[in-house]
Amino acid sequence: MLQANSVQFNIHNRPIIDRATVCLQAGELTALVGPNGAGKSTLFKLISGDLTCKHGNVTYNGLPLNRLKPKQLACLRAVMPQHTSVTFPFRAIEVVELGLLLSNQTYATTTIEEVMRTTHTWHLRKELLGNLSGGEKQRVQLARVLAQIWEQKPHPRYLLLDEPTSSMDISQQHHVLQVLGELKHRNIGVLAILHDLNLAANYADRVVLLKNGTILHQGRTRDVMTSGNLEEVFDYPVQVHSEGPRMPLFISSLPAERSSQTYTFKLA
Amino acid sequence: MIQTLPLAKTNFQNLILGLLGATLLFLAVYSVTVGAFAVSLPNTISILVSQLGLKVGVHTNQEANVLLFIRLPRILLAMLVGGGLGVAGAALQGLFRNPLVEPGLIGVSSGSALFAVIFIVFGSYFSWATQFFGGFGLPIFAFVGGLINVSLVYNMANSGGKTDISLLILAGVALTALSGALIGLAIFYADDAALRNFTFWSLGDVGGASWDKVSIAFFLILGPSFLLVLQFRNLNALAMGENEAFHMGVNVQQVKYTVLLISALVVGVGVSMTGTIGFVGLIVPHLIRLKFGADHRLVLPGSFLLGATLLTGADLLARTIVMPAELPIGIITAIIGSPFFIWLIINVKKIRS
Repeated sequence: MLQANSVQFNIHNRPIIDRATVCLQAGELTALVGPNGAGKSTLFKLISGDLTCKHGNVTYNGLPLNRLKPKQLACLRAVMPQHTSVTFPFRAIEVVELGLLLSNQTYATTTIEEVMRTTHTWHLRKELLGNLSGGEKQRVQLARVLAQIWEQKPHPRYLLLDEPTSSMDISQQHHVLQVLGELKHRNIGVLAILHDLNLAANYADRVVLLKNGTILHQGRTRDVMTSGNLEEVFDYPVQVHSEGPRMPLFISSLPAERSSQTYTFKLA
Repeated sequence: MIQTLPLAKTNFQNLILGLLGATLLFLAVYSVTVGAFAVSLPNTISILVSQLGLKVGVHTNQEANVLLFIRLPRILLAMLVGGGLGVAGAALQGLFRNPLVEPGLIGVSSGSALFAVIFIVFGSYFSWATQFFGGFGLPIFAFVGGLINVSLVYNMANSGGKTDISLLILAGVALTALSGALIGLAIFYADDAALRNFTFWSLGDVGGASWDKVSIAFFLILGPSFLLVLQFRNLNALAMGENEAFHMGVNVQQVKYTVLLISALVVGVGVSMTGTIGFVGLIVPHLIRLKFGADHRLVLPGSFLLGATLLTGADLLARTIVMPAELPIGIITAIIGSPFFIWLIINVKKIRS
């Protein structure tokens, strides 16, 4: 279990994250959702270990984060930041191989091929990273972080992703979230910052709604992703529709002047 | 085929390193025979083999003396200093995540030069250092100067894990200017004997080589360079960014200190022995990356070998172009290096993408 206990992070005495408690279970996909400036990335960095918190603490499988060395931490979690820029002319496959930096397998070629095929980047393996499109680069970076946790391990591990699909087209977005869903069977817990509410609603097991550095709601997706909660978080009218408890959720928002009228969204 | 891909890559890298090593060896052997006093190849081999106690062929005593006490230490020193500059340049470029970084440009060399000059000019105040370190006193002083400058430059140009290249170069310019001014000031206060020492040092280039210097360079350049080469995994990870490297399990702070410390040592020792030699640390890693890719497993040792080759070649030119006189070696590297640097600036957009 990965747990952030009442973590607090201030900049110039202004709380960016205010006593937030989040608990990630292995085998669950948790979506972190909230408006710009809500503190999503800050909370994410507190959990990944990039930032240290003044109050509260983060524990991985019961071990406090600040007592773990970078190497030990890397065995417990992989992180995909929002943007990664690479200065030198590395090939896609070389970037993915970096995910195995700590691995003792000398040539874990099968791992590399598996993660690159999974992320649809195998055909790009010999390309220089600088020549790839934004979405392709993002998939290569995803392959790199997957490689880090691909090998089966007895202890639970975590994958933290900051807007992993921001540059991808719609089919790749769904594909990536399906891949993340499959990771749950490998005893891996996933935390993803997602902007697309429909992706969050239909792939996440749990949702954390963040606003102004405070967690307003968290819990099972269906309990949290309600019109009322989302409107409260985003200060904007949001409709949530579903034909039943097992049917997909549809989340829509419309331009303000139209939704202010009594416009109701009808499902076809 | 797929299974052997990384293995093929490693074999390819080893092949390249082997070729670079062979080129260096051939150039070095050729370089030994050429000069104001030519020694034919069979005689050269005869001299070298006779050192192992074998008698093959004939040679004169004069030839043996020129070869063993003048030319061989000189070429070995050029190889060690050039290799050190190459690998330090590659490692600093990796650390700063920037292909324009060079020990001379970011003020490492000038800091080393300043401290070397202070040691030479005010040597009488540092008799304790000479007593304690012996011949290592000057190189260690130069190392401290380089370390001070590289730490200052790093702190000035770095914020939040990103290095601003304009700040980096400007900080280097500022520190080089300051070091230059302080060198001038130190010379102003120098007495005649110190001034003569300084003149010899500043014109010294690799011509002033001796077996003493070579053995010091062996310990303080070759050994540390090997430690730099071992950082290849960490520098590969750092190429993704400092946060990313940390996520992958790299102790970023430790790698930074290691690379800064060893680079300053390697460059400082080189400067203390040959004066500042520019551009080797810039050109060499670039050529390797351009031809063989960015993997530091190849770039670091490759830069050592190519840097050694380049400086051996530059030394060969320096002492043959105006035979029997000699050009300072720094002139040769600057004549090759400056146009390359200009080309680099023009192409930097292409290289960055």
